[in-house]
Amino acid sequence: MCLQNFPCQEVERHNKPEVELKTSPELLLNPVLICRNEAEKCLIETSINSIRISMKVKQADELENILAKKFLRFLSMRAEAFQVLRRKPVQGYDISFLITNYHCEDMHKHKLIDFIVQFMEDIDKEISELKLSVNTRGRLVATEFLKQFI
Amino acid sequence: MLSADGASTMAFFSSGSRALVEILTRMQSAERPMPVDHSFFEFGSIRYHVEASASDPENVYLSISTPSLSHEAAPSSTGLPEATLQETRKAYHKFAEVVEPPREGYVLTLKLNFSGLARPKDRVKAINQVSLLQSVVLSSQLRDMLGSLGPFGTMKLVYSQREPFFVSNTKIVFLHALQAEKIHAIFPMRFRDDTDLAIATSFFQELQDLGNSFARAPRCSWSPIPPPELRGEHVDRLTTNGGFVSFGVLSRHVRGKKRAAKTAWILLNFQAYVKYHIKCTRSHIQSRMRQRLEALTEVIQDASLRGNHDKTRSQAVLKKRRSKRRPISFAKANTKLQKGFRAILNKVKRLRLRIRVKGLDRLWRQCRCFAVPRLPVPPRTKEKEHRYHKLASVRSREQG
Repeated sequence: MCLQNFPCQEVERHNKPEVELKTSPELLLNPVLICRNEAEKCLIETSINSIRISMKVKQADELENILAKKFLRFLSMRAEAFQVLRRKPVQGYDISFLITNYHCEDMHKHKLIDFIVQFMEDIDKEISELKLSVNTRGRLVATEFLKQFI
Repeated sequence: MLSADGASTMAFFSSGSRALVEILTRMQSAERPMPVDHSFFEFGSIRYHVEASASDPENVYLSISTPSLSHEAAPSSTGLPEATLQETRKAYHKFAEVVEPPREGYVLTLKLNFSGLARPKDRVKAINQVSLLQSVVLSSQLRDMLGSLGPFGTMKLVYSQREPFFVSNTKIVFLHALQAEKIHAIFPMRFRDDTDLAIATSFFQELQDLGNSFARAPRCSWSPIPPPELRGEHVDRLTTNGGFVSFGVLSRHVRGKKRAAKTAWILLNFQAYVKYHIKCTRSHIQSRMRQRLEALTEVIQDASLRGNHDKTRSQAVLKKRRSKRRPISFAKANTKLQKGFRAILNKVKRLRLRIRVKGLDRLWRQCRCFAVPRLPVPPRTKEKEHRYHKLASVRSREQG
């Protein structure tokens, strides 16, 4: 994560994340794709002044799919609380982060990396727990409903 | 419905009307007779009207309007079948009589007179009994309709206008000799979005699985395709996104009037029950997501070089809707000042840090090969020579 301030080479007085604009190919590095399987993958795109991390979260069944969609939408709508979270994910992924050189100046790099890692772990954990909780609630409510007949 | 930790504090749809109990109790406990004219709705489609005049406080007129469960059943002249009226008369004969014809816009009007009940305990009991009026009317109507339903017949019932359900009658044969009637209550389930559908699907699966462990409850089954009992029904009625839930009600489930009324009431409110479960689960999911969001926000705030200085800002973003003005406390103001001071110090430190430019040292080393001319520096004198004299010394000289 060696990012530096780098103004746009083509437009004067512009300073935009190169990973988003991709104006000059010499400022981009090779993207890294870490793939557990087709449903779980992470794409890291780097450039001279910014880095973009996109994730695809595991969605085993319909319930997990809906819960993941709901949770990630909830987080995306509150992206201002995270500073580095992108409002719209990259196509083909569920959630994206955009880290610029300004973020690196304002934050500890190692803690920023820790946050990304924890975020990934927490998303998986939360979705699994939510699924479990929905099923448990369903079971309890069904039990209570049938108890009424007794 | 269920608390977050899963403790079962189950809300169930009570068949008694709490509003009616409250109004009647207040009227009974009032010191002076007062005129009453209340009109209210319950369960969306049941309308009540309570009326009493100050001149005749003993007689309270209670009118009720319940949805017609079936458009196919022939209504009586009053709007309710005769069997239902008879049952109502029988249930409330001690303190009420049926007024005929009922008030306009209502299916049944009762004239309540509690003056015959001397003990307060009896009056409370009677009021509670009156609050069950809609349950008595609906279950009686349902029983009447099921009685008129022939073998292998199917009927559409409309308790809630948007969500009709079906009742079908079948005969099952045990061991080639014993015959028993089985009524299927079939609910086509429709949901407005995918989240509702997912939660409901999980609930139906659990309901189906648990059906075997409750022997006294009707057997429940859920299938995405219409059951064979609905064969021949109109396609519009069979178009669902949540499948079909059916309960097989046997004669033992409706043995006795009380039990029959209870079973009918539970089945009539099944769709409302499912909706309520979905609503509660959605709110549970929302609260969990909010908790997780706060935990993750703390992590990103810790990453900030300025410490938790931005915490207040981002918390304000999160809680902007529920923000309230709080009185200023000096302790808090002091900590805020300290934080601000620390932030300024951090900034100063960062400004004073040596700026490291990658590769600059190498360039500097290369530059040393070339002779850099040094500019002549003027020699420093130890004391500055002043061309003026001290005023005091000048004055002393003048005086001298």
